[in-house]
Amino acid sequence: MGALQIVISALLAVLVLAGISMMSKVKTAVAGNLLSALAMLCGIVATLLFAGVVSVWTIYVSILIGALAGSIIAIRVKMIQMPQTVALFNGLGGGASALVGILSVGGDGAFVRFTALLAVAVGMVTLVGSLVAAGKLHRVLPQKPVVWKGHSLLTVLFLALTLVFVAAGIFAGGAWLTLCTAGALVSASLFGLWFSLRVGGADMPITISLLNSLSGVAGAIAGMAIGDVFLVAVGGIVGASGLLLTQIMCRAMNRKLMGILTGAAVTPSAQPNINDNEELVKRIMDLEKKIQQLEQMVADLEARVKTLDGIVSAVPAAEDKPTAASVLSKAKDVIIVPGYGMALAQAQHQVRQLADKLESRGARVRYAIHPVAGRMPGHMNVLLAEADVDYEKLFEMDAINDDFKNADAVVVIGANDVLNPAARNAVGTPIYGMPVLNVDQAPEVIVCNYDLKPGYAGVENPIYSRSKGVYLELGDAKETLMRLISGIA
Amino acid sequence: MIHPLILVSVFIASTVLGYFIIRTVPSLLHTPLMSGMNALSGVTIVGAIAATGVAFLAGDGVLSQIAGGLAIALAAVNVFGGFGVTHRMLMMFGKKKKQG
Repeated sequence: MGALQIVISALLAVLVLAGISMMSKVKTAVAGNLLSALAMLCGIVATLLFAGVVSVWTIYVSILIGALAGSIIAIRVKMIQMPQTVALFNGLGGGASALVGILSVGGDGAFVRFTALLAVAVGMVTLVGSLVAAGKLHRVLPQKPVVWKGHSLLTVLFLALTLVFVAAGIFAGGAWLTLCTAGALVSASLFGLWFSLRVGGADMPITISLLNSLSGVAGAIAGMAIGDVFLVAVGGIVGASGLLLTQIMCRAMNRKLMGILTGAAVTPSAQPNINDNEELVKRIMDLEKKIQQLEQMVADLEARVKTLDGIVSAVPAAEDKPTAASVLSKAKDVIIVPGYGMALAQAQHQVRQLADKLESRGARVRYAIHPVAGRMPGHMNVLLAEADVDYEKLFEMDAINDDFKNADAVVVIGANDVLNPAARNAVGTPIYGMPVLNVDQAPEVIVCNYDLKPGYAGVENPIYSRSKGVYLELGDAKETLMRLISGIA
Repeated sequence: MIHPLILVSVFIASTVLGYFIIRTVPSLLHTPLMSGMNALSGVTIVGAIAATGVAFLAGDGVLSQIAGGLAIALAAVNVFGGFGVTHRMLMMFGKKKKQG
């Protein structure tokens, strides 16, 4: 059976690759996805035949249950919930790989034991890490990095323990092998928990890409354990894809992967001795909470003053003092910069309406998409596509960055760090060296952010305090956009 | 049993091939790409099926059959859900094309 199985597996793997390469163009992407799915279906049928397990009825029941649950989620989920959905699915795949590892650990040979144990370890890291990431994205877990006592030390310890159990398991048998399997499972889970809790919200695009890669690697290793070529090949492809995306995300944020995993640059400098005195930490946290509330109130008041200001100045002398709406009324070349705030406010439809209105007045409207805007790679593109924005108007950072200085106006919607010019010169801050959109070169900048608080990186944005050509439209983006739209004469 | 060396070289070959093909995907489509990859990572369902089926036919304990069934179900959620959401997203991108 060997040779035929290898040939068919290789053919199916090529089919999967063809499907993926079709996903590089919008026109062929839908067909590409279906082709990959078809290859997967063939792979399942081939396995049923080759493994000689066609008669096992429990397999079909299990598939049916999973397929039903998966399909229901896929149909029901809202676009806004896509990041956590992807993370959740990802974790389940990792968990399944870990279970395959557990099932096959009793097989013959050191190679099988080694790969089976490794599949358990990588699978569990993927499962736990993805669940934590999904929890953070769904806002049931804190968005900020969670740092526990002796965090770095324990993280390394759990990783080392995992490796020890996997290595020891190669030479173990009987009860010892069971012990090693259990040990690898537990320590890998703890490692997954410890490392993922430490990741903050803005590093999510990188973490999700990495977990995506791990889930593929887990599958490939499980495939080695049971000797399945198709599984190994597709797992390898997924692993490579996740790694590539991780690389792109890291470059776009000027972050080192290790830094994110160990929390090097994320831990705010304001809390250096967090482990020393819990009472003190608690009080600081309480005070910080109060400060946040006060800041919120001030921001709300500012927003109200701004609104009233706008109304007052618009009524008597609309010609004299330019407002955001009057600037947009005249603009012929507008660039829109969306960020995670647009996702939070779900304002993509209002953004589209604004663009429509501007275009109906003869203006050219383009969108500038920073690679790490949002919480997963390509997050903004999906939301704007949901609002029917033509993808040909979406531009990557490098393609549009030189056009900001020639644009008549730039509209920022819920974005901050990705356009913070401080990234070019604020040495020592988390965003230093990160490539940013050249919004500061535009003559007129309209900022539709919720408030003026620094972004996730905690670095003040000098654009906000610019003396000329900045219009702050603070508050919920949906409302401010509606106001802008109705304000355009 | 397939020789471990073959398996390892298949892994390396597919990783390298995948890397270069995926590099051609523009950032516009990165989310659908990732969720498509995510669906593909459910390929472990193949391993789950083989392992469970063999356990069943060998008359192994109930425990390993439950574990196998769970593995298949989890992977199936991954596969069906993953391809489903990817399809939905891609249809959104395509929508505009048809109208224009």
